Formats: sequence, structure tokens, C-alpha cells
Amino acid sequence: MATATKPKTIKLTASDGSAIEFIDEIKASGGMKDVYFSPSKKYVVAFFRGKPPIGLKDRLLVITDSYRTRIFENVGGDYWKNVYCWPTSVVEHDGRIGVVVPFYDQPFFFMHGSRNNDMLGIKGHEKQGKWFASANNRAKFIDPRELGDWSKHLRLCIQISRAVRRMHSAGLAHSDLSYKNVLVDPSTGRACLIDIDGLVVPGKYPPEVVGTPDFIAPECVMTTHLNKDDPNRKLPCIATDQHALAILVYMYLLYRHPLRGDKVHDLNDPQKDEEISMGAKALFVEHPLDKANSIKAANLKPSELPWKDTAKIPFTVTGPYLSALFRRAFIDGLHNPSARPTANDWETALVKTVDLIQPCSNTACEQEWFVFDNTTQPACPFCGTPFHGKLPVLNLYSSQRAGNFRPDNHRLMVYSNQSLFLWHAKLSVVPNEKITEEQKKRVGYFVFHGNKWYLVNENLPDLIDMTDNDNRVSIPLSDKVELKDGQKLLLSKEAGGRLVIVQMVDA
Amino acid sequence: MNTRRLPVYLLLDTSGSMNGEPIQSVNVGLKSMLSSLRQSPYALESVHIAVTTFNSLVEDVMPLTALEMVNLPEIVCPKSGATNLGAALEHVCERVRKEVKKSTADTKGDWRPLLFIMTDGKPSDTLAFTEVIPVVKACNFATIVACAAGPKSDPTSLHKLTDNVVHLDTMDSATFSGFFEWVTATVNSGSMSMGATTSLTLPPPPPEVNIVL
Repeated sequence: MATATKPKTIKLTASDGSAIEFIDEIKASGGMKDVYFSPSKKYVVAFFRGKPPIGLKDRLLVITDSYRTRIFENVGGDYWKNVYCWPTSVVEHDGRIGVVVPFYDQPFFFMHGSRNNDMLGIKGHEKQGKWFASANNRAKFIDPRELGDWSKHLRLCIQISRAVRRMHSAGLAHSDLSYKNVLVDPSTGRACLIDIDGLVVPGKYPPEVVGTPDFIAPECVMTTHLNKDDPNRKLPCIATDQHALAILVYMYLLYRHPLRGDKVHDLNDPQKDEEISMGAKALFVEHPLDKANSIKAANLKPSELPWKDTAKIPFTVTGPYLSALFRRAFIDGLHNPSARPTANDWETALVKTVDLIQPCSNTACEQEWFVFDNTTQPACPFCGTPFHGKLPVLNLYSSQRAGNFRPDNHRLMVYSNQSLFLWHAKLSVVPNEKITEEQKKRVGYFVFHGNKWYLVNENLPDLIDMTDNDNRVSIPLSDKVELKDGQKLLLSKEAGGRLVIVQMVDA
Repeated sequence: MNTRRLPVYLLLDTSGSMNGEPIQSVNVGLKSMLSSLRQSPYALESVHIAVTTFNSLVEDVMPLTALEMVNLPEIVCPKSGATNLGAALEHVCERVRKEVKKSTADTKGDWRPLLFIMTDGKPSDTLAFTEVIPVVKACNFATIVACAAGPKSDPTSLHKLTDNVVHLDTMDSATFSGFFEWVTATVNSGSMSMGATTSLTLPPPPPEVNIVL
């Protein structure tokens, strides 16, 4: 039996020449690695257990060196520090290979933990995504202060998609995207990709990952029985990441799994049943034509409602842009990897969906926000509270050539104190990591006053009401314009400048 | 949709020799196992635990209960009593047959159950033990882990049940807590990776435990 002595601090020189220290005591263990803390708590050292597999060191060196610099020392480099926990160097000790990884940011540890004065004792633990992606865990265990609202979930999905998009554009695949490897903080709408040492790097020996159940692409599940060198074996790649990303987005917005329905494929062996239902016969629980795998509401626990009742909360509550992608991911692309939406598709659709959300008028609504459903009788799909009043909808058009404006399939729902940004005014500005501080400032806002809706012009020098072509009215800075049905507002005269056509819903 | 349950059966020796510090350590180990399992969002969704003890008699200390509902009673053990492991296994197999839900055409059944056995001696009912081995195999456990605790335990007979036999040299609290930590890690990785591979991979045991090969 080991006696309790104070663990030693071990000093090493890392691959990049930096001095690394760690306390020789395992603080956490993952599937393949043991994690040790540094005395400063600024970073951790994660050692791969056992004899390093072929190519591991080589692969880790390019991840920590060339790929890291390529991403972090480029446009928007600072942005990535928030969404990745990217290993910084490689170390070797006692025949083991390890990576030095920055410590997770504070918001990714539970501040309140579980309900009833943290009955589970998870305060201070990492916010693993699984806690938040399950209706049951949310309803029964997690302190409501940790849960965030629906708009925060949209935001964290944007960050995940953006992080994956950047990796993919560098030719890298994460290979094990799952709620285990994505920390989330719904209370502030943040997300961070971790376990980046498993990246599939072009031209390097692939990592030995199986993936995480719930997230493994059907083609991989179907071929796990084959040898790794078998040409028919499907290994993790960008297309399998795309499958996992679609599942993550679905689960963080709807708190249920898109493929876990009630269809039973093997009566005797649950393992085999699992393999078939996640592999060869994987079927979307909300498939519009094939209902074989739909979720039977009668079998649900109260704590899973209403989320697992797909009739009450169908995927279409996520709005038109995301619904189209869910169809591509889980109907067209489920068994056809090349048809899957890319991370960029998800990012774009999520960003546009932020413009469709409305605050729920029910102050007790747990989700607080919902996507406007394009009807004349809008209601919050989560709590059922109808919207009453005048609701301006701004349809965005952009100029392809001078004087000609075409629809962008992009709407902006107005609510009181809603902001108008430069990316609404100009097609050329995209709200992503490349945006400058100056471009982040709002250029106008909306306010409901005296039963009328107004747009207040803060920084749109070109703003013109063009409703009456013979009587164009310029709206100077710090002035306001009342919104009316059928109104045409030009936001910018530049190429790619936006024209807005206002629709007024009276509900 | 039913979320599949992961049934976990614990079969614990409460024969006379466990009296005193060993059984205290087992109680402490079980408690910390429960609280750390409850910190896993995976385990909370699937794990169900049943505890059965055995000496001359076999007793169900706790029926198969959802992790969040478990309220574990203190396990006591008499000053004397035999190690009727054979009868105990027979009983557990009977429970598995009754309790573990099979899939039906429209509802998902349970995952294959896990069985953990802890004993500090040799089976007293040798004939029953020999006879029950094929019955245990037929129960189709996903994993069986047997723990031979202390110097008088008999890893060889446990090996007839499973390849996963661990041997604890001593029977103090540190050793037991190391063992229960390992059980926790096994259940945890089971609840997380059900469906990943066809057989459950055991996490590396703590340094105090010797795997008997």
C-alpha cells in the first residue's frame, strides 16, 4: 500500500523549448490520457497512457506547432483562444508522450452546480455538455442558474460551428466531436473545443479514436468490425465531423438525440440493436415519411417532456435556415456523407437565426426566446404563450448591381431595444472572428413608443426612406423613423448595401 | 422513448471474517462510489444498482434502483458465517432473469448488466459454486469483475467466473476505496461507452490492486 507522501513536482523541457512543470499526481483520467496539474494552474499536462502508438509524436508536433501558429497567428487569432483549448507543446517523460494544454477558462466550471444546494456535489466540476444536452438532466439535476436561455444555446452553437469550420478549412478533422469534448457554458453562451490532440492531420498517421457513442457517423459504426487497414473501413474525417456537429447542434437546441427513437432492430442483443440503429439502419426520429423510428410520447418520463415529444416541439421550431440543414444532415446526408451540411453552413444558418428570435412575453418561460414562426399568430413553442401586438419584420435585400436589389433569404425580427448592426446594413460585413471592434458597434436600434415602432439611426449615414420613390426622405444620425408596413429603407449606398422592406404583423 | 437502463449488480461477502474494519471499509467505499457516480451525467441517465450480500444466507440489501434514488442501507455482517458464494450467484442470476428488461417489438430493453463480486474467502458451497458457473455465463453479463480481498481469498476459483479478477493484498480502507474507485470508473465508462464497442474495456486499476493473470 502506498503511503501518503506529498507528490513530487517534475520539471521538463517541452518540444518548443519552454520549461514545463507538473505535479506527479493524476488529477483526471480520460479515455486515453492521464491529466496532471502544473503548480501555477495555468496549464495541465496530459500524458497518453502506455506505449505511444506509431506516429503519435509526429502528429502532436504538427498540431502544436505549424497548425497552431497557422490558426492563432492569423486574422482573428485572439478569437480562437476562447473557442479552443489547443495544446501548446509536446513533452516526454518516463517513456510516455504528453501534451501541454491551457487550463480551461473559469466559466466552464460549475458555479452553482446541481439543484437543492448542489445535491450532487458538482460545483467546481467541468461543464460537460451532456448535462445540458439532456432534457432529463436539465429538469431534474442542474441548477436553473446554470441552464441559460435558448438564445444562449444558439450562441454556443455558433461558437462550436465556427471552431469546427476553422479546423476544417485548415484541412484538419477533430475526429471525436461530442459533448464530452466540447465544454459549454449556457449561462453566458460560450463553448470551447477540448481534446484537440486527436486531430486527423493530412498526411500523418491517423489517431486511434473510436469516437463517442451518439456522435459516430453511421458509415463508421457499420465498419468498426473491419481492420483499420481495410480499405472499406471508414475512419474519422471531415465528413464524420459534419455528422457529429449536426448532432451537437440538434441536441443543444432541442435537448434530445435525433436518431434515438423507439425502433427496435434486435430483440435479444442490445449491443447489436445499438449498432444497427446508429449504423446501417440509422433513421431520423422526425423523418417526415418514414415514421418507423419516431419517439413514442407514451413511453416518456415526465422529466423528458416536452422536449422528447417531437409533435410538441418539432425540429422546425429552430426556424427555416436550421430546419433546412437538419433535413440535409439527417435525411439526405445521414447515409450520404457528401450531402451533409458543412460547419460553415451551420455557422451561417445559426447567425441568421439569431435575427429571427423574439423574447417570450411570459416572464416565467424557461427558454425566454423563440424563433418567430412566420405566421400571423405567433406563439412561443416552448411555453405556448402567444405573442400579442404589432411585430415588425424586416426583409433584407442587397444590391448586386447599382439599383437592383435581390432578396437575401434573411429576415430580422424586431423587438424593443433590438440592435441593428453593420452586418445587417452591408452584405460585405460578416459577423465572425474577422470582425473589427469598430464593426461590432451597433448602428441603430428599435424601440416601441406610443404604440409605434421606431428605428433610431445611430450610425447609418446613408439611411433613406425610399417608400415613395418621388419623395425620398433622408434620416440623419440620431434621428428616428417610424416603421410601417410596406416601407422601404435603404441602409447603405455601397455595393452590397442593404435595402429593408418592412412587414408589419398584427397579432 | 425509453432510455436503456444499465443494471449493475453488486454481490458482497458478509461472512464472519469481514466483520470489523473490512465491512466498515466496504460501506465507506460504497458511499463514495455512489456519490461519484452521481457526478456523471451519463451514469445518472442509465445506471441502476442492486446490492446483494451473502454469508450463510443470501440477502437482497437493495433492489435494482435508479442511481438518483439510491439510499444505501448500512451493510452489517454477523460475527460468524460461511461464504456461500454459489448460492449467492444462483440468486443473482435469478434476479437478472426477472429484472433485466428484454427488448420488445416497440420498447428498448436494458443494456447487458454488469456484475461485481467481492469476497475475502473461498466458496464454502463448492458444489453449488461449480454448478452455477454455466448459469452465470448464460446470464450474458457485459462484464464480470471479481475482487479477491485479503490473504485468505481465493482468486483461482473466481477465475472460473471471469478473466477480470483483482486481488487486494490487504483489507484496509485505502485498499477498498481504491477498489471502489475502480468499480466507479468501470461503471462510468460503461454508462458512457455502451454502444461503442462490442466488449467493455476496463479502465486501468488503481495501483493498490493487483490484477490476477
